[in-house]
Amino acid sequence: MKRMIRSWTIGAVGLLALVTLAACVVGGYEGDGGVGYVGGVYEPGGYVYGGWPAGYRVGPPRGGVRGPGGRAAPSIPHGARGGGGHRDGGKGH
Amino acid sequence: MGLARQSQSVRGETAVNHSKHSAGNLLGQGLCAALLYAAAITAVHAALGAAVVLPPLTQPASGEHHVGKVVWADLVTPDVDGAKRFYGALFGWTFRGMPGDSNYALALLDGEPVAGLFQKALPAGQSQQPAWLTFLAVRDVDAAQQGALQHGGKVLFKAHYYPHRGRQAVLADPDGAVFAVLAAEGGDPPDYLAVPGEWIWSSLLVADPKHETDFYKSLFDYDVYDLASEGGSEADAQHYILSSDNYARAGLNGLPADSMRRHPHWLNFVRVADAADTAKKAVALGGRVLVEPRIDRHGGRLAVLADPSGAPFGVMEWSDADTKQEPQ
Repeated sequence: MKRMIRSWTIGAVGLLALVTLAACVVGGYEGDGGVGYVGGVYEPGGYVYGGWPAGYRVGPPRGGVRGPGGRAAPSIPHGARGGGGHRDGGKGH
Repeated sequence: MGLARQSQSVRGETAVNHSKHSAGNLLGQGLCAALLYAAAITAVHAALGAAVVLPPLTQPASGEHHVGKVVWADLVTPDVDGAKRFYGALFGWTFRGMPGDSNYALALLDGEPVAGLFQKALPAGQSQQPAWLTFLAVRDVDAAQQGALQHGGKVLFKAHYYPHRGRQAVLADPDGAVFAVLAAEGGDPPDYLAVPGEWIWSSLLVADPKHETDFYKSLFDYDVYDLASEGGSEADAQHYILSSDNYARAGLNGLPADSMRRHPHWLNFVRVADAADTAKKAVALGGRVLVEPRIDRHGGRLAVLADPSGAPFGVMEWSDADTKQEPQ
């Protein structure tokens, strides 16, 4: 009977150890060395956007816009998906 | 005879007891072995199942490489379900869970991957906010990490490989703006004009744009186009275009002087048909308008919005018919 209890105890401890190990592996995504997704970061908070003043522009220029030096401002691709990007750098969108 | 029978009887009981004992031992050991085996199998399956599998950026593999191109964006949020409701209703995105990590969901537009949503608890006691993480294409993530460190940046998450997706790392530029680099397995997406619902543009808003152009140029070998000086009419509004392959990949702006949001950051824009309508819809869905719809340089409107968790993003019109007068 004692041997049986000992066997059960060993089995239970072994099971517990392995389940713990598995849980560690599954729950490891928060760390850098985890096997789930890593790399998600939050930004510092506590900030708000103010109004953007007139003349403050963030968008890309359209193709064909040239500066005083004659250099064409680059724009975004304007070809349809699967049809190439039409890398002419100077045509409008 | 009686003694003999008694003796035989005792031997018989002993044998039966031994037999029962042995059977008990065998049963116990067998159960133990079975339990150990089951636990081992569980552990192995759990370990294999925990390896998150992200889809490739392009399918089939493009084999193209566009260093410096914005190729992906991940939302980091404490409420993925809320984000799904919001972005699904706003842009028509659908969502799919990823094997190996129940905290990561893939957003799709017409069946094509468009973004990732990552659920992460907001750290208690810290002033942090959900955000979209911008991924820029590189050929060698480790070299990008090294380059960032050499030029005043930081490595926030060192290089990590995801089967099918590729190798990526999270960095911060010298001004503190957070971005990621990705060496996509199978190549980068080809260059084409984004359709409504896809990312069309990215802007980096920083305190010192000129200094930042040096950092990004060193990492991505960008050509830098100075719109402020070469345009001749915007001397007080620093705006650089970072380009590669003769395409504008991102804009680099000084933070607006009256903006209270001083932390430098990347801001990604989704193409929409009507920025004003989208802004109204975002508010109805629980979002906020951070910058009201306004006409920008290209003649179309853009707006800056926040989703219900506070993550900022932009929406931008872009069509051949965008001929609205630019503000002077």
